[in-house]
Amino acid sequence: MKRLIALAALILAAVALFAAGAALTSGPLDLTAAGVRYTTAVHLERPATGRTAVEVRVTSGDADTVAVSAAMPSMGHATPEVAAEEREPGHYVAEGELFTMTGVWDLSIRLSGPAGEETVTVKVLISEDP
Amino acid sequence: MIRALCLAAVLLLALAAPAAAHNVTAGADLRLAQTIGGAEITLVIKGTPRVPGPLRIGVAAFDGAAFDGAAGLPVRLEVRSLTGGGTTTGVARAAAEPEYAELRVEETGPHELTVRAGGETSVVPFRVLVDRGSPGQFLIYGGLFAAGLLLVGGLLTGAVARRGPAMLLAAGAAAGVTVAAMVVVFEPFVPPGPPDGAAPSADTLLAGGRPYAQGRFGTAPAQPVAGQEFTLTLDLVDGATGRPVDDLVSHHEALAHLIVTSEDGRYFRHVHPLRTAPGRLEVRLRADRPGRYLAHAELEREDSGGQLLAGAFTVGGEPGDADGTAGAAGSPLLRPAVPVAGRPTTIEVAADSPVRPWLGMSGHLIVRSQDGSFLGHVHEMGAPGTRLRFTFSFPRAGRYLAWAQHATTDHIVTRPFAVDVAEAR
Repeated sequence: MKRLIALAALILAAVALFAAGAALTSGPLDLTAAGVRYTTAVHLERPATGRTAVEVRVTSGDADTVAVSAAMPSMGHATPEVAAEEREPGHYVAEGELFTMTGVWDLSIRLSGPAGEETVTVKVLISEDP
Repeated sequence: MIRALCLAAVLLLALAAPAAAHNVTAGADLRLAQTIGGAEITLVIKGTPRVPGPLRIGVAAFDGAAFDGAAGLPVRLEVRSLTGGGTTTGVARAAAEPEYAELRVEETGPHELTVRAGGETSVVPFRVLVDRGSPGQFLIYGGLFAAGLLLVGGLLTGAVARRGPAMLLAAGAAAGVTVAAMVVVFEPFVPPGPPDGAAPSADTLLAGGRPYAQGRFGTAPAQPVAGQEFTLTLDLVDGATGRPVDDLVSHHEALAHLIVTSEDGRYFRHVHPLRTAPGRLEVRLRADRPGRYLAHAELEREDSGGQLLAGAFTVGGEPGDADGTAGAAGSPLLRPAVPVAGRPTTIEVAADSPVRPWLGMSGHLIVRSQDGSFLGHVHEMGAPGTRLRFTFSFPRAGRYLAWAQHATTDHIVTRPFAVDVAEAR
């Protein structure tokens, strides 16, 4: 009986530790940004510093070109714009060094197409390079 | 060691506080002054306790066109989600006591409110936040509920003379009460999680403040003519990245307080420009006399302090009939009677009753040095009766132009006066 209780306590502690650990490390980020002309779904598999990929799915509106740039308002940092490649119709991927340090960044997605140009911005939390 | 722990606890609590950038939560209304359609209004966005849920928006009128008609100025409202893209619309009438239009929000997170009145449009970004229930409360109520059930079970089992199970149930009840009591004691020390829809925030302490905003004032048309309406524009650019500054927070209930004065001080306007695009503020004005005009904008970026941007423009044409004076001259009571540079001076001005809070205060005093190189904005400090009392230390000797402002039921009263400040001996 005592062993069973001890075992249950150990399992509980392990689950709690796992949950706490999962909350601390950052997983992939999925965000949506709705502009007036275009709506996008943004996916960051690895929201971390260093070379990273930003996937943009244009869920409404007809965009020809998509470019991604980032700025960190609290520090006054900005990184060069990266042109996104169209992998499938409406599915764009931009790869580059967008985030130079950890913290909250504004990720701006500039879309242009027959409807005109529009920039939508999402806030992303960037963590340490794992 | 104990000090370090205390410091850590304080830092944790401080970091857990959400940034106050245009957040709309239940119980914390967002109030924003706007000069729109010839009226001075304040938008009041009330928080919602849940999503999808109602979002109530009211328009409080303070001055101008809002009081011209019997029915009040109609203000068309449109709320758009910046994540889902859904929109809802409504109409609120500007009135001294705001009437609320009920719109809907489908989700938490960033939204945009488009305000249209009298042919002008303003776009206000804001964030809908909904508090998540705290896990502590779940434990408190859960623990007490379990304790109650087990206690009743224990009593019943005891009544039928089964001691073992009765003891076990009673022990369970005691455990439930213990958990609830522990959580009641320790919950205040545990930082609450961020509300649903909050902007992501970093755990690390940031260097205080964002880069400065560069402001460029312009007019449309480029050369305004006396007696004719023109638009004063202010383009804001981040000094470090060159991007438009689109993170202004509500600073004394407005995105920006714009003070426009003629060089001689006979013309005075304290207006609240409209955000028409990221980094762009606009307001419609009319000046009655040609000459040089000064513009001072007081604003605040997110996570930063307030800042003042200054500019100037000229108005051409011929002088009109009206002199553009903002109101009857005030006869302030100064203490000391001759203010001394660098020392506090108390200024008392008679007010028209009833005094109604405007921009979060019962009175405002704008002080400008005669040459326009200095501008101060002082708040009323709670004088009894119908007087406004301000305390201000004039930085240097010389002549200052001052305007004391307060709101009554249906208009804003401005009392201009001049103060001569003596050199400190």
